[in-house]
Amino acid sequence: MAPDLGNTQQWMQAVILHPGSDREAVASPKARKLVPASQFPRLIRPSRTLDSFDRIGIYRGMYLARLQEALEADFPGLLHFLGRKRFSELVRGYVDRYPSRSYTLNRLGDRLPDYIRSSPGIVRQDFLHELARFELLMSRLFDAEESPVLTPEAIAAVPPESWETARLKPIAALSVEVLRYPVGAYLEAVRQGKTCPGTRRKNHWAVVYRRQYALRWLDLSRPAYRLLHALVSGVPLGDALSSVLKGGRQPVGEVQLFSWFRGWVTEGLFQAVELEDPA
Amino acid sequence: MGRNRWNLPDLGFGIGLRTVHYSYILANHPPIDWFEVLSENYMDTGGRPLYVLDQVAERYPVVLHGVSMSVGSTDPLNLDYLKKLKALADRTRAHWVSDHLCWTGVSGINVHDLLPMPYTDESLRYTIERVKAVSEILERPLVLENPSTYLEFGTSTWSEVDFLSTLAQEADCGILLDVNNVYVSCFNHGLDPDAFIDRVPADRVVQYHLAGHTHKGTHILDTHSDYVIDEVWSLYRRSCRRTGGVATLLEWDENIPSFEVVHAEALKARRHRGLPEPDLKRAYGT
Repeated sequence: MAPDLGNTQQWMQAVILHPGSDREAVASPKARKLVPASQFPRLIRPSRTLDSFDRIGIYRGMYLARLQEALEADFPGLLHFLGRKRFSELVRGYVDRYPSRSYTLNRLGDRLPDYIRSSPGIVRQDFLHELARFELLMSRLFDAEESPVLTPEAIAAVPPESWETARLKPIAALSVEVLRYPVGAYLEAVRQGKTCPGTRRKNHWAVVYRRQYALRWLDLSRPAYRLLHALVSGVPLGDALSSVLKGGRQPVGEVQLFSWFRGWVTEGLFQAVELEDPA
Repeated sequence: MGRNRWNLPDLGFGIGLRTVHYSYILANHPPIDWFEVLSENYMDTGGRPLYVLDQVAERYPVVLHGVSMSVGSTDPLNLDYLKKLKALADRTRAHWVSDHLCWTGVSGINVHDLLPMPYTDESLRYTIERVKAVSEILERPLVLENPSTYLEFGTSTWSEVDFLSTLAQEADCGILLDVNNVYVSCFNHGLDPDAFIDRVPADRVVQYHLAGHTHKGTHILDTHSDYVIDEVWSLYRRSCRRTGGVATLLEWDENIPSFEVVHAEALKARRHRGLPEPDLKRAYGT
């Protein structure tokens, strides 16, 4: 009996997604359950030049090529570090475990960092996980909503007595990061075609953000990270400043704090000053 | 106005909006008739792509073209996708919204390919109802494109062109006739492309696609990677004689050359429709 539309589609998808050869895919248990292998030549007509395996093989080949192309575009650092052959193996394993479930290829790599962290046998696993996570972050910030930017006029309009309890609202395309490897510098070198820096572990802090539709990052000192992290988490300005002035191993002066703040505002990291409701 | 049954306008000769041309378009505002926009690239972003699209839609007519509607799939329609698609169409004042007569996955998976339908009575009835439902959600007639295909199902009892034509009539949808895809599929299946062109209901055709392809000897792949070949231009002329000419779009997606080169290739279509070709050097001031 001929398969109906639903069975035909389930069968074709099972064959396309199967990681083995064309013949192994057609003979796989999942495919055979839907369409017995004996029916295959009747289901897929041969052409003048191609047999049934060749014809379904075109779709199988294009599937992996298309997904790999999409991931290469989103993870150029991973591709550079691994080389094309190892990157292809990574992609094959990844899409086998996490086939796309979105209407857009932009979301295809969402679980790639998790896959790298949870898969045994990946060399430099910690570094690659952080590099993948950083590249995914860049993609997300690239697509984040555009925000207005805090203006000098808006800052001047804040009554001096209100700054203590004011909260600074960050732009949507911003993330404050603790990093264990120099993944930002590595990615920048890859994009610019320069020699990549070493990939040894080196704890550091950074803010990644988008300005005028271009992605950027700034390295931060540890106290600067603590202050900015507090501010973007919604801690009132007075509390955030106090915690940095009092806590931590590195002493910070008020001049330094003012300099950081001015720099972040100039870079457009905030979109508004939110004042406490007097009621 | 065009001769199609909805009086959708003949937008002239456009090209697909592609990332590599963003800066050029924003800086130069080239004298092109219209742009076709890949819907999915702009549905989930608030970044530069959407900014560019807003600028383009402000200045040029725009049509949305998708690859993930999966109108032939036995999965339920993705209502979230359709809602976002409608919002994007409204935002850009798109003249129409198109996708492909295909399916892209089942069981929630997207293979991200335009997979062929078995052309059976069952799939025809099923797809008619799906197209009607989509048109209702989008609040405008859907326009469907004939995809390039690389296999044929032995279960098919309809030809592709008769399946598409009947679907368009029964579901009251438009046809985006991809002339290159007609050539590619007919080569791959040993069919007569002239006969295909002659059987398409002319009053349903609201748009043409033209593109180059990659000939592999045993089969042809629809790669959009080259100039349009003479045989495809011939099919285009043949169809234009039947439709009177409708909005025409050149696709170029691999090894994309400069904007001027892609635009010049699109404008060759004017000559094949018997219209004078503009002086591009003058238009671009070069």
